[in-house]
Amino acid sequence: MNLPTGIAMYLLQEAPDRAAEAAPYDSIWTDAGSNAASGAFEQVMLSNDKLFVVLGVVLIIWIGLIVLLLRTDRRLASLERTVEENIPEEDPLAPPTETSSDRTTP
Amino acid sequence: MYTERQKKRYRLIRNVVIVWLTVVLVAGFMVAIPRISILEHTARNLYFHVPMWFTMMAATLVSAWHSIGVLRTDSLIRDIRALQAARVAVVFGILGLTTGMLWARFTWYVEADIWWNFDPRQTLAALQLLIYGAYFVLRTAVDEPLRRARVAAVYNIFAAVTVPFLLYVLPRQQESLHPGADGNPAFSEITDPVMRLIFYPAIIGFIGLFWVLYTQRVRTAIVKHRLTSDPEL
Repeated sequence: MNLPTGIAMYLLQEAPDRAAEAAPYDSIWTDAGSNAASGAFEQVMLSNDKLFVVLGVVLIIWIGLIVLLLRTDRRLASLERTVEENIPEEDPLAPPTETSSDRTTP
Repeated sequence: MYTERQKKRYRLIRNVVIVWLTVVLVAGFMVAIPRISILEHTARNLYFHVPMWFTMMAATLVSAWHSIGVLRTDSLIRDIRALQAARVAVVFGILGLTTGMLWARFTWYVEADIWWNFDPRQTLAALQLLIYGAYFVLRTAVDEPLRRARVAAVYNIFAAVTVPFLLYVLPRQQESLHPGADGNPAFSEITDPVMRLIFYPAIIGFIGLFWVLYTQRVRTAIVKHRLTSDPEL
């Protein structure tokens, strides 16, 4: 199913009648039907128990995390360059050759 | 150090993962799903909670793979890889456990008002995280790098062997509220095909996110090792 169809299916759903379930101190939550939604954006955001507002919040958080990830990557890359330029080539992480062959012969 | 080609590949995969997961997030909220009592909209957690565990299992496989490599070649860089894969695995495991607790609180336990009831599935998952916790503690007990790498590798392979039993075999043989237990099918016939269209890409996307976070940490650990001769992050 493509996304526009998904939205259309939402908008076609009937607003549930919640008046009967309302407890004391609740304002009666009647879903998008009673909201005088003006623009198309507002209509989408208020539909389906305002689920898309949650999506908006999640996306803002996700974008924030992406920015953090990208900035960390840039700093890491520049740190790697600095290290490569300033510290001589020998690679301390190369697997030891002599010690390991010693180990195999008891 | 990573070569320029490896860095380029990292950036490419990272960008694909970012776009991919953004699409999954949007689709996860937007696409209409069947309305099931008790579950209601929380059924969408299938796209987010379940991939945490798939990702955790994939990460433990990567970690164990590099631990085997340590024992075969004495390569310290593979010890760094095993450690960082295990670290990210535990992060995804903690996320899986806490999201599961929140989900259970408002579905299984909605009338009971409890957060934790020692459901076998949850208990064994928590035990799994403790087994990995011991791996990090064990590493701090050995100072000599090559010795530490070998000792940790042996333990890590043991830890990875417990994963399928604690997360898959044992929970299925016990009574549990979690899907995939005795008389409670996990997924197969009872899930709407539309949800699979988002669920499978979500698993791929989160495993990709694991790879990005893991690779970033490995690169950082390599720089740290070059500067201080200590790769532990």
